Amino acid sequence: MGIISKIINWSRLKSPWVLHFNTGACNACDIEIIAALTPRYDLERFGVVLKATPRHADILLCSGPVTKQIESRLLRIYEQMPEPKFVVAIGTCACSGGVFNGCYNVCGGINSVLPVSAYIPGCPASPKAIIDGVVKLLQSLEEKPGDKK
Amino acid sequence: MNEEKIRQELEDKFSYLKDAVNIKRKGRIFAHVPLGEFNTVFAYAVEKMGFLALSAITGLDRGDGVFEVIYHLNKEGRVLLNLSVMLNKGNPEVNTVTSYCPSADIYERELMDLLGIKVNGLAPGHRYPLTDDWPQGEYPLRKDWKGIIPNKK
Amino acid sequence: MHESGDVKIPIGPQHPALKEPESFLISLRGEKITASSVRLGYNHRGIEKACEERTYTQGLYLIERICGICSHSHSTCFVQAVEEIAGLEVPARAKYIRTLIAELERMHSHLLWLGVAGHEIGFDTLLMYTWRDREVVMDLLAALTGNRVNYGINTIGGVRRDISSKQKEEILRAMDILEDRTKYYIDLAKGEATLIKRLQGVGILSHEDAKKLDAVGPTARASGIERDVRKDDPYAAYAELDFKVVSVNNCDVYGRTLVRLGELMESFNLARQVVRKIPEGPILAKPPRKIPAGEVVSRYEAPRGEDLHYVRSNGTEKPDRVKVRAPTLANIQSVSKMLEDRYLADMPIVIAAIDPCFSCTDRLVALRDAESEKKNTVAWETVRLKGIEWHKNRGTDFTSLNKKLTRLFQHA
Repeated sequence: MGIISKIINWSRLKSPWVLHFNTGACNACDIEIIAALTPRYDLERFGVVLKATPRHADILLCSGPVTKQIESRLLRIYEQMPEPKFVVAIGTCACSGGVFNGCYNVCGGINSVLPVSAYIPGCPASPKAIIDGVVKLLQSLEEKPGDKK
Repeated sequence: MNEEKIRQELEDKFSYLKDAVNIKRKGRIFAHVPLGEFNTVFAYAVEKMGFLALSAITGLDRGDGVFEVIYHLNKEGRVLLNLSVMLNKGNPEVNTVTSYCPSADIYERELMDLLGIKVNGLAPGHRYPLTDDWPQGEYPLRKDWKGIIPNKK
Repeated sequence: MHESGDVKIPIGPQHPALKEPESFLISLRGEKITASSVRLGYNHRGIEKACEERTYTQGLYLIERICGICSHSHSTCFVQAVEEIAGLEVPARAKYIRTLIAELERMHSHLLWLGVAGHEIGFDTLLMYTWRDREVVMDLLAALTGNRVNYGINTIGGVRRDISSKQKEEILRAMDILEDRTKYYIDLAKGEATLIKRLQGVGILSHEDAKKLDAVGPTARASGIERDVRKDDPYAAYAELDFKVVSVNNCDVYGRTLVRLGELMESFNLARQVVRKIPEGPILAKPPRKIPAGEVVSRYEAPRGEDLHYVRSNGTEKPDRVKVRAPTLANIQSVSKMLEDRYLADMPIVIAAIDPCFSCTDRLVALRDAESEKKNTVAWETVRLKGIEWHKNRGTDFTSLNKKLTRLFQHA
C-alpha cells in the first residue's frame, strides 16, 4: 500500500491535472492562465494539463471574487473533484475580493467558500507568478507527502 | 445629420416638447418627455426619424422621490437622442418598448431588477442580472438601499 | 420554435479555455437547433453601485477592471465622460498616447480572438501561434504602461506616463513583425479550404437582422453595417488619423474573421501614425477636485464594438450615477438569431464569433432538461469536441493544415 500511494503521489506531483474555473472575474487572470499554457511560458513542460471535467482534476485554479450566482456551482465543482484536491486562488480578487470587496453581489475571496491551498496575488497575476505559485504548491506537497491540504 | 433640424422636428411635432429639447454638443441631444406621451414620442423617433437603434436604457434614482429613465436612441451611429421620463418612486411604472426595439428586453429587465421599476408588457423570461433567490423588495441601485452582505458558508 | 419532443441541451458552467460562465439553453431536434435562449448575470459584481460610493479617481480603477481584455476601453470611455462634464481640455499628447494604447489593445484582443476561434473549431495550432504573436503586443504594453493588463494609464485630465523615443522605435519594429505574421493569417483565411468550410455559412446574421437587433462592432461590420465609433463620433486622436472602416457583406463567422483581420492591419497603420505624428507637450491637465453637475454619454469603439458609458454628476467628489453598456450585451441578443436552424456542432464557434466578453456584461450558466425539468450539465468542452468530431466526419480535418503552418513558421 505504501509503495502504491507513493507512486500515486509522485505522479500527481509530476503531472498535476488542473481545472480552471472563473468565479465572476474580469477575465484578466483567466487570460493569463491560458497565456501560461502558450509557447512563451509553457506550463505544460511541468506536466500540467488542463482538463475539462472536475472528476479528473487534482488542482482547481480559481480566479475572480465569488459572485452570489456562482457560489453554489463552485461548491458543486469542488465536491465533484476526487481527494486529495487543492485549490489555488489566482489573482487579487480570488485572494480577498480585490477591488470588488464589499460589493453587494460578491462574497469575497475564494476562501470565503472553499479551503485554499495557495494564493497567487496580482492584478492580474502574471503568467510568471502563476507558474511560480503552482511550482511552490507542488514543492510543498513533495515535502509533506502525507498531508492532504 | 443636423442636430438643430432634429430639435425643430421634435418641437414642431410635439408641442409639449418645446423648451424640453437640449443640444448638449455635436451628436448629443437630451429631451425630457412627459410620461403619458412617452410611447408616442418614442415610436415617432424610431419609425419616422430614423433612430433605429436603442443603445441602452439607464435607470436612476434621483434621490428626491423621483426615478428617471433615459432611453439612448442612436441614429446611424452619429447622433444620440436621449429621451428621459420621470417616474414617481412610490409607483414606478413604464410600458415596454420591445415592440419597436426588440433589443430593449434586457435593458428593461435590468430596470426591474436593480431599481424595482415595473415594465408593463414585457414577455416572460429570466430576470437579469440578479439571482433567482435574491430577496424580494431589495433594489440595489436605489439610493436608500443599505446593502445586504451575501451569506457566507 | 421549441416543440415538445425537442431535447434541451444545457451548456455547462465551467469551461476549459478562456471562457467565463454563461448560460445558453438550446432546444434540439436531432442535431439541429430549433430554439435557443441566453441567460446572463453570473459576473454581476455590482460595479455601478460601487462607483457611487467611490470618488471619480477611485471609480476609474474599478471601471478598468470590468473586463480584463478591454480594460482600456472602459477606462477611457469613463474618463472621457468625466472630462466632458468638467469641461476639461485634455492635452493633445495625452490623446495620442490614449489612442496608441487603444490600438495596442485592439491588436491583442483580435489576436486573442483568432486563437480562441481556432481552438473552438479544433485548430489548436492557430491558438498557439496567435497567442505567441500576442506576446509581442503584451511586451509593448508592459513596457509602456507597467502592466500586461489593466494598464492604469488613464487619469482624469490625461495620462500618467509618457513615451520615450526609444519606445517609439520598439513600437515601429513590433508593428513590422506583427504585420508580417498577420499577412500569413490573412492568406490562411482566404486560401485554406478546410478553414473556409468550417467558418463560411455559419452563424448567419443578415443585414436587416443586424440592424433590428442593434449589433455592434465586428459582428455588425461583417453584416455590411459600416459603423465605427472612431469614425462616426471621433474621440481621442482619431479625428486626426487616417484609417478605413473594415466592413464586408458575408454576414457569417467567416465575415467576422475577415473583419477582425482587416482591423488588425488598420491598427498597425494607426499605431505607426500615432508614433510619427504625436505632438510634444504636457500629458496632464489638472482636474478639479469636485466635478460640476452634469450628465454625459460617452462612446468608444472597443475591440468588440461600441461601449457606452452614461455618467451623471451632482457637483460632489462622487458620481451620482454611472451606467455601463458593454458591447457584448448589445451583441448577445443576436446569438439566438444566429443559432437558428444550425447544427449543435457549430454552436461553440457561433458564440465565440461575437467575441463574447461576458465580464463586461456578466454571464450566467443554467442547464435544464425540457422533458423532465431536471437539472443537467454538459460541459462546453463536450459540445466543442463533439462539434469537431462532427465536422471531421464531414471532411474538415486540420491535420495537414497544422503541419503546413508549423513549417511556415519554423523560421519566423
